[in-house]
Amino acid sequence: MNIIIAGLGASLGAILRYFITNYGKKHWEELKKHYLNLPFPTLFINLTGTLILGILFGMKVNPFFYALVGTGVMGGYTTFSTLNTELVALYHSKNYSGLVLYALASYVGGLILVYVGYYLGRLF
Amino acid sequence: MSDKVKNYLSVAGFAFFGGMARAYLNTNFHFYGTFWGNIIGCFLLAFFTYFFFEFKDFYEWLNVGICTGFVGAFTTFSTFNLEVLKNFDAHLNDIALIYLFSSIIFGFVFAYIGAHMGETLSKIVTGRVK
Repeated sequence: MNIIIAGLGASLGAILRYFITNYGKKHWEELKKHYLNLPFPTLFINLTGTLILGILFGMKVNPFFYALVGTGVMGGYTTFSTLNTELVALYHSKNYSGLVLYALASYVGGLILVYVGYYLGRLF
Repeated sequence: MSDKVKNYLSVAGFAFFGGMARAYLNTNFHFYGTFWGNIIGCFLLAFFTYFFFEFKDFYEWLNVGICTGFVGAFTTFSTFNLEVLKNFDAHLNDIALIYLFSSIIFGFVFAYIGAHMGETLSKIVTGRVK
């Protein structure tokens, strides 16, 4: 049952990710040019989603809500495959400083934010 | 139906199955499930992205459905980070570090291989069509 709930949540999360990616492609181009062509939409999505999942886990929400919003929406919203495909694209365009910066911002940022979220969630 | 609506519906529909597949792996195999889902997803997304590159506009709804919808929802960045935290929290520091670094390295390597295979296959197919 929880698997179907998670699937429904993932639909919502993926729509949100698709919307932000499209929005970012239109409006964040200037930002991208200034900062080594980093894919800001995915970075924004992954970091905010990780923070929110950390909060949910820290709050110890009930299993149904966690399956829907945690595993479902946040799992479908954030993405590991797009991050790595973008890293490969940066590598192919020989943008090595962009590659290192994007990887560090994602992985170090993700770990910091999941801890921040966890401790924030425990306050509630 | 406008193309935009079609794309959003396609993303939602495919993501339902991608999310369920991930939830299944996660329920049965815990972080090992997430790990393999993420690694396989990296290969698939890079493969499809590079394979569809030449003719992505023909079946845009199918392309965004499979890539953004299914594979995007099948892989997850937030749960990956949370599972690293959970392992550290349970004092399984070595497992946390192995999980963290093998995800980072294999994610990139499998996406790289997928991109290469997708590009090669795309050239073969378009070469035949031309």
